[in-house]
Amino acid sequence: MALRISFHRRFVTATVFFLFCVFVLPAIAGAIWLKVFTSAVIFALAARGASLVYAQLGLVNLAQIALVGVGGWVMLRLNYATTLPFELSLLASAAITAIVGMLLSLPAMRMRGLYLALVTLMAAGAFQILFTAFQFPNGGSGFLGVAMQSPGEMRRPFLARSDAAYLSYCVAVTALCMVLVFLHERGKAGRGWALIRQSEANAMAAGVDVTLFKVWAFTLSGFLAGTAGALLAGALRLLDSKSFPAGESILLFALAIVGGAGHWAGAVIAGILYRVVPAVLNDFGLDADLALILFGAALLHAIITAPQGIAGQILSASAFRRSAT
Amino acid sequence: MKLYQMSAIAASGWLYLGLTAGAMAAEPVCGLNNAEKASGEPILVGGINGNAPPGDFSGGTDAAAAYFACVNDNGGINGRPIEYLVENDQWNPELASQVATKLVKDHGVVALVGNGSVVSMAVNARLYVEENVMVMASACAISDCYENSNIVSTNQGPLPSGIGAMKYAIEELGTEHVACIGFNIPNNGGWACDWVAKYMESKGKKSSALLMDPASVDLNSVYLQALAEGVDSILLMLPAGPALGILQVAEEQDGRDTFKWISPTPLYDPSIPGTLGDYWDGHVFVNIELAPFDSSGNDNGNWVAVMDLYGQKGDRRDTFSQSGFLSAKFFVETLLTMDPDKIKRDSVTAAIKGISGLKSDLLCGPYYVGDFDRHMPNHAGRMVVYKGGRFEVVRACYDIESSYLDAIRQQERALNLID
Amino acid sequence: MKIYGLFLISGLAVGSLYALGGIGLVVLRRATGFLNFAYGAIAAASAMFCWQVMAWGLPGPAAWIAAILTGVALSLLFGWFIAPGLAWREPVVKAVATLGFALIILGAVSFLWDDAARKLVLPTDKIGIRLLGVRVTMTRMIAFAASLAVVVGMVVYLEKTRVGLHMRALADNRDIAAMIGIPIVRIETIGWAISGGLAGFTGLMFGDLVRLDPTVITFMVIPAIAAAICGRLQSLPATLVGGLLIGVSEAMLTLVKPLAPLRAMAPFVIAALVILWMQRRQQLTFVTED
Repeated sequence: MALRISFHRRFVTATVFFLFCVFVLPAIAGAIWLKVFTSAVIFALAARGASLVYAQLGLVNLAQIALVGVGGWVMLRLNYATTLPFELSLLASAAITAIVGMLLSLPAMRMRGLYLALVTLMAAGAFQILFTAFQFPNGGSGFLGVAMQSPGEMRRPFLARSDAAYLSYCVAVTALCMVLVFLHERGKAGRGWALIRQSEANAMAAGVDVTLFKVWAFTLSGFLAGTAGALLAGALRLLDSKSFPAGESILLFALAIVGGAGHWAGAVIAGILYRVVPAVLNDFGLDADLALILFGAALLHAIITAPQGIAGQILSASAFRRSAT
Repeated sequence: MKLYQMSAIAASGWLYLGLTAGAMAAEPVCGLNNAEKASGEPILVGGINGNAPPGDFSGGTDAAAAYFACVNDNGGINGRPIEYLVENDQWNPELASQVATKLVKDHGVVALVGNGSVVSMAVNARLYVEENVMVMASACAISDCYENSNIVSTNQGPLPSGIGAMKYAIEELGTEHVACIGFNIPNNGGWACDWVAKYMESKGKKSSALLMDPASVDLNSVYLQALAEGVDSILLMLPAGPALGILQVAEEQDGRDTFKWISPTPLYDPSIPGTLGDYWDGHVFVNIELAPFDSSGNDNGNWVAVMDLYGQKGDRRDTFSQSGFLSAKFFVETLLTMDPDKIKRDSVTAAIKGISGLKSDLLCGPYYVGDFDRHMPNHAGRMVVYKGGRFEVVRACYDIESSYLDAIRQQERALNLID
Repeated sequence: MKIYGLFLISGLAVGSLYALGGIGLVVLRRATGFLNFAYGAIAAASAMFCWQVMAWGLPGPAAWIAAILTGVALSLLFGWFIAPGLAWREPVVKAVATLGFALIILGAVSFLWDDAARKLVLPTDKIGIRLLGVRVTMTRMIAFAASLAVVVGMVVYLEKTRVGLHMRALADNRDIAAMIGIPIVRIETIGWAISGGLAGFTGLMFGDLVRLDPTVITFMVIPAIAAAICGRLQSLPATLVGGLLIGVSEAMLTLVKPLAPLRAMAPFVIAALVILWMQRRQQLTFVTED
């Protein structure tokens, strides 16, 4: 009974939050905050991908921002090469990035823990170099599509040309993706992941296809990163290799843990910490470096004493605690 | 204890400042120059700089801020003070987009002055056109900045300055094959080195572009790459910091005489002579986009006076500072011709686009804007060499030849500035 | 031919910096089980503090010692106050915790020293010899010699001394080591201190030879980890060889035209290959360590 009420309440909370972000936030935010919130939403989506793999399988993916870059690259490439509508390009970018994410997970088949984290870190480093060497398409010719010129036009979705509408659009896409993750967690995949996390041997004995479920999680994570990257390309209308260094992947992963890995709200908090907090500090004329100190301390706190992150602390502070895990 | 010391230092600094300003520096001349504080409704003006590794382009906004402060103490814009809002994009495209939106949309600035950044212009070029706001920039470094109807920069940027340096190198240093070392940013290093290559080709000379990752840590191998290319000259198409890094590597390798060393304007910075040292004496040639820091013209003297009196302690005093001062001065002169009650964004944009034929001893040619789809009023520069712990002019004002300027010359003909 | 010599020497110089970082990581990993992502940040703090001490006008040797002591102090700070709380957690959680420490240090260092261009100059920069056509400064030779000396010194130390024996026992099996009465805290403190000192020294070398920029030095931990991976996070000699190999491949790739812009990928590609090779026979992962 308690669980049912709790679930009901949380569904209402999520819906109210969603409606607020789609309809109220774009209407009341100033022009700069529209942009900040758009970035925050996009990176919340990316953070959800990193936190999903960590919460469900205990695997550390330090290449999430690199995958966001991949999604953005594909989006820009499609934008200049084709006349596909935004939504189709978005799906294609997400799908291609999902495949890249899947390839990244192949090493995870045989190893876990620290070495997998290091493989993803090496991948993040390699992507940083690739982005710098090949840049992002700006309307030039050839496969790479980079010309020594000012960028051409990156189209936005038909329904969301203005910054305010685009924020609503990003929130809607992000919410859809969060629902997708939720369905996975509640479905067959979630049960498989839970078994694997407890013990791979037991999971295998119980007839769970360990390889499939691990690949699945990474593919889904890549899908989210790709969607985020494509949305980012639409938000900024051009991308720059400086936005996707390996260090940022590390930071986003850290914030996903700080926010709370096992919950959509944790990812939203991560997005806010990643983009809104520095913007607020900047707005007050404070050094954004200070935010790093805060993030570092929060990460240590989360690792040592609060494994559910900020979202977990907020949730457990509320009266209706999740009674079963 | 610490506090006491600090206040003592502050007090002595105050005294010193007072003395020097009174005894040595000339009085600045700003705006109406009537020594009356402006007190009317403020006019909002924005400025965006990029100051983070790998480069600091805050000189332009620093100088514009100093000049505006001086104008506000001297009658303002017919009584209305300028409120100057400066943002730093920290070389971050997202942040660049945010701060520009904040200035243009949220604050509704009438124009942007003194801008200097590598990322901001590319991200925001469209915003400026859509919002019909003019940018009188000072430290532009990318193509987007010179190929936009609403951006006009007082500095030349790497293209003319780099070609200017090459022209001198071919004619005076005997360059046959140059390595253009720039950042691997398509609209910055790629763009400038591309046009340098076209220029070299037109002169029957060779060039190789060595584009490096801005975050690259191994400058040594960039230097060795130039060595492997077998070039005879190196053009440092870089901000001052990384350019110094390459020179440091070259010094370590004793490569001073292996190459001719040339650079566009970023290396022309008062702090550079102290850093270069005796080793480079007479071996580093720099094209400068505005007049030398110690030149005797009125505007240059006024720039020094304004910076002495109104500048902040950490302000850079480089070419971009001169450029920011000049942008701000032209901007104020334009506003002063307007009815102070009718200073709105649209009218200011129209007034700026109407600028033509302004002169300054800081520039080699006339300054103009005009209603065109691109702007590059400043393309003639001077050449200096690092010698005896300072920079010495080795060639006075000269213009460059490049097909890039065809459209620009057409504008100048249309405005009757050239025949 | 001469050109290959140039790039070989240049590559060894860069490679010894990667190796130096990798060695510091491996020393700590063996003694405490921590893979320290904050190694680069500690190095950055040390280099910046060294610059600051020189800027105050104190003599060079004081600044160098200050750099190394900064490294030791920061490393011990984590080792004493944060590491014990994580002692029994999985290796990857320990590594993620050091990320937090790295962010704190990077934030503080970037806040204390703003973005101005700085140069760290050591007197050894002015001395140098010609080797295969490249002038090699004394500083680079020190970096190279130090990485060699540290490897030899540590191998001997681990083999011949009692503390070394304890460290090896701890690296092999922490539970059993604790049970048979090895003074874990003392041994780990020594591990943190040595690694911190090495971080300080690495920072000094990086700041002088590469760039004195907190962010750049902080993230040099990534190629350093690549070198450490070549040593399977255990073997010091293999880490040294891995670091040098990475440096040389990176430099040599400059000469291969189509790959030249991608040469900085060398550390990551080599490390990824090493990892895949290491895991080649492992079918399933029932192990919980690593």
